[in-house]
Amino acid sequence: MNKSIYVALKWVLIVVALVFVFWLAAQLAMQGAWLAVTLTAFVGLCILLIYSTKRAVPMKYLFPGILALLGLQIWPMLLTISIAFTNYGNGHLGTQEEARNQIVANSVQEVPGSPRYKASVAVKSGQPKATGPLKLLLTSPEGKTYVGDPKEGLSELPEGDVTKSTIGKITAAKGYDVLNAREINARGKDLGELAVPTDDGGGIKMVGLSEAFVGKATVTYDAAKDTLYSEVTKKTYAPKNAFYTATDGSGDTFSQGWRENVGLANFKTIFTDPTFRSGFFKIFVWNVVFALGTVLLTFILGMLIALLFNHPRLKGKGIYRSLLILPYAIPAFVTALLWKGMFNQDYGLINQTLHLGTDWLGNPWAAKAAVLITNLWLGFPYMFLVCTGALQSIPGDVQEAARIDGANAMQTLRKITMPLLLVAVGPLLIASYGFNFNNFSLIYLLTEGGPFTGGNATIGDTDLLITLAYRLAFSGANPSYGLASAVSIVIFALVAIMSLPGFRATKALEEIN
Amino acid sequence: MHKRAFGAVAAIGATTLLMTACGGTTTPAQTSGSTPTSTSTSTAAAPATTSATAAPTRDANADLVIWCDSTHGPAVTAIAKKFADAQGLNVQVQTTPDDKTRQQYQDATKVGKGPDIVVGAHDWLGEFVQNGVAAPVQLDAATAAKFQPSATAATKFNGQNYGVPYAIENIGLIYNKDVISTPPKTLDELISMGQAAVKAGKAKQVLSMNVGKQGNPYMAYPFFSAFGGGVFGTKANGDYDPNQVIINNAGSVKGGELLAKLGKEKILSTNVDGTNVAQLFTSKAAPFLIGGPWDIEPAKKANINYGIANLPTVAGGGAMQPFLGVQMFYLSSKAKNAPLAQEFLTAFVPTDDVQIALYEGGQRPPALKTAYDKVAAQTPDIKAWFEAGKGGKPMPNIPAMNAVWTPWGQAEADLISGAATDPKARLDAAAKEIKAAIAKG
Repeated sequence: MNKSIYVALKWVLIVVALVFVFWLAAQLAMQGAWLAVTLTAFVGLCILLIYSTKRAVPMKYLFPGILALLGLQIWPMLLTISIAFTNYGNGHLGTQEEARNQIVANSVQEVPGSPRYKASVAVKSGQPKATGPLKLLLTSPEGKTYVGDPKEGLSELPEGDVTKSTIGKITAAKGYDVLNAREINARGKDLGELAVPTDDGGGIKMVGLSEAFVGKATVTYDAAKDTLYSEVTKKTYAPKNAFYTATDGSGDTFSQGWRENVGLANFKTIFTDPTFRSGFFKIFVWNVVFALGTVLLTFILGMLIALLFNHPRLKGKGIYRSLLILPYAIPAFVTALLWKGMFNQDYGLINQTLHLGTDWLGNPWAAKAAVLITNLWLGFPYMFLVCTGALQSIPGDVQEAARIDGANAMQTLRKITMPLLLVAVGPLLIASYGFNFNNFSLIYLLTEGGPFTGGNATIGDTDLLITLAYRLAFSGANPSYGLASAVSIVIFALVAIMSLPGFRATKALEEIN
Repeated sequence: MHKRAFGAVAAIGATTLLMTACGGTTTPAQTSGSTPTSTSTSTAAAPATTSATAAPTRDANADLVIWCDSTHGPAVTAIAKKFADAQGLNVQVQTTPDDKTRQQYQDATKVGKGPDIVVGAHDWLGEFVQNGVAAPVQLDAATAAKFQPSATAATKFNGQNYGVPYAIENIGLIYNKDVISTPPKTLDELISMGQAAVKAGKAKQVLSMNVGKQGNPYMAYPFFSAFGGGVFGTKANGDYDPNQVIINNAGSVKGGELLAKLGKEKILSTNVDGTNVAQLFTSKAAPFLIGGPWDIEPAKKANINYGIANLPTVAGGGAMQPFLGVQMFYLSSKAKNAPLAQEFLTAFVPTDDVQIALYEGGQRPPALKTAYDKVAAQTPDIKAWFEAGKGGKPMPNIPAMNAVWTPWGQAEADLISGAATDPKARLDAAAKEIKAAIAKG
């Protein structure tokens, strides 16, 4: 083939990739994310270096994988770890300065007994409406007209110089150009900062397009001491635990907090939380039982059905197989909710057909059974699929040889089929175990971790570590991503430790080959 | 050469993946109806259609951008068009998926991509203020006085007024007129009427009320309020005080005792939950339903001859008073069009036309007194809902409320199911849990 076509194609692709990288960097630069811009530029450079020459052939294959690993695995992990040492969460999203500015800005109250003015916005005649210094043209409730300037305050505007609308708003004034709605809106940022000072220390500010009020911030900031003082509560607030908290010990705080590093506090919370500690062991045991039980039950059922449908004499396999895959094809959350309805003690299908009085979702043991049954229903089609595939790849002559040697069906299954099957399916069983160990959605949709029989709402009888973690992190007044990250790191450590023997076991299986 | 070309393709693929990973905050662009023009001719505001979960993307050319959930989309769009026509502006209404407005609005606002105004429930307020995404709205006293006091109370946080209300929502007693001729005044009457209906074979159970295995304290709250119980005490300025948890005060304990008694008598059951509560009423299994305006459509569809009444009074206490939920317009703290947004909120939303248009879209009593009077004169259902909510208190809008629902609900469920036998001890335990969660911050 013609070599030069491929060379040209290569360069086209490199250029396309670089153009894309450049576009991405430009987008990031516009948002001011300079670290990301640097990283993107570095990636672009790597692409150019690796793919333009013949020097780094292995790297050409490794690079995309490394990139994906860094971007999709390492980066989120680093992010999670870094968040785990902060108090990041609701009320702690921004900086202390942002929080303080919000508190002061939100404390502006209308001065009691002050008038509401009809108002329009204007600039001095001849000055550009888009940039000129803004003036407020005001009409008091008594009909007196004023011009307001942010520096000079109010000065009267002679009655003869103005034209007023029916509601009293000034529509034209000698020496001023009045702005229309769109023009006012375009100056929204300036207007937000504009206040015409009044004698009592307040400021006249616009509300909307044709009204102004006299407002005053009821909270003031003392930069020297870094405290806030509220005229309403007559209290001083100082920073404490990333909140401005009243210094009188009343526990009164402003709800706008800020993000800060808290060191190991999140981990300390996890390991010292009394409910977490008392419930941890119980939940851990159930979590293992649940994950193991699910894998075993789904695997056994899936394998038996697969064996059955793998029988050469069975007719209409296609139809049966498609029907069996149905539970797998329906979204799991729909199935979980359906089962929840069927497990209802009084109105559910299961108790009604079987004439049982079992409180499936209220009794701790029945609820555990209900969870396992539902997950069996959800999970066996997957195992069935996997086993069917694996069984079909087992050569028929091995089984035939066993039969000729006088092995009965059971012996063939145990000694020949199963080991060969497990080689193929073993890693998937471990994956399934890992998935179910953290099967949040099933528990959350079916039982929400309940029933809660301990007289609290923290430790449920069907809770997994992950649902407990969710509740722990998000049940406080303010969902805390910092705490959630810390919990997920702890769970990761647990799963990693437990997976080690599992992976060793798979290695042993592989040695059969 | 083959290999190298493949390598380049793979690199591009990987870069794309990386971009997706980095671009978590950007959302797919949505088409947004009409193309906006920058002239002063009025442009009809068309609701932007969104995919199932993505947040809408604001149109840079719009003079005013409003977000609401898809249920309220048509009504808000209609009033936005009126405002656009009157002002000669381009107003755009964009809808989010129904239960995603709260989060998507906050996420978008944090990165400067949010709307100028968002429509939502009043109990989002505490979180919005806390996260700095809501700005105060300076209504003048005369305008504020035009609203039902409970509605303006709900839009206040820490003494400041945020947003403008437009509808009030609460639960009441829905009954089947074919079985129950006149609604009961007291809970005892309700029970005896229901039991008579069961005896006569006209029903299978007395009452349908959402409890569930984890409880539903929003529904159970009236049982506590009837005895003077509640969630939080109030500060001097009328705000709920997160440091005063009263779910185990004397009144609340009496409410708990009543719930336990009703559970024992099988009037209430943890087996009635969100999946079957409405259906028990529409299938005529229960002649009474404690429910809200959302239960009316299904009842109409099932051809139930329904009536709406106040919740009954209880022996030894007063009337069962529900939580009020108030629907409101929030002003964004990062509004790019603050003057127009303020004009919309302070001069346009507090008018009869707008409030009635919103009522027609949502079928809840308007928050503006004059608009309510007009609607109530013509629509008995709306009058009935409003009456049922009279005297009720707004659901707490302080962030600490997040810590209350779960422990409080579990205590309620435990009392009804009989898992907990001592109401005082169980509510004490729940209060302890709540206080610990609030202290956690």
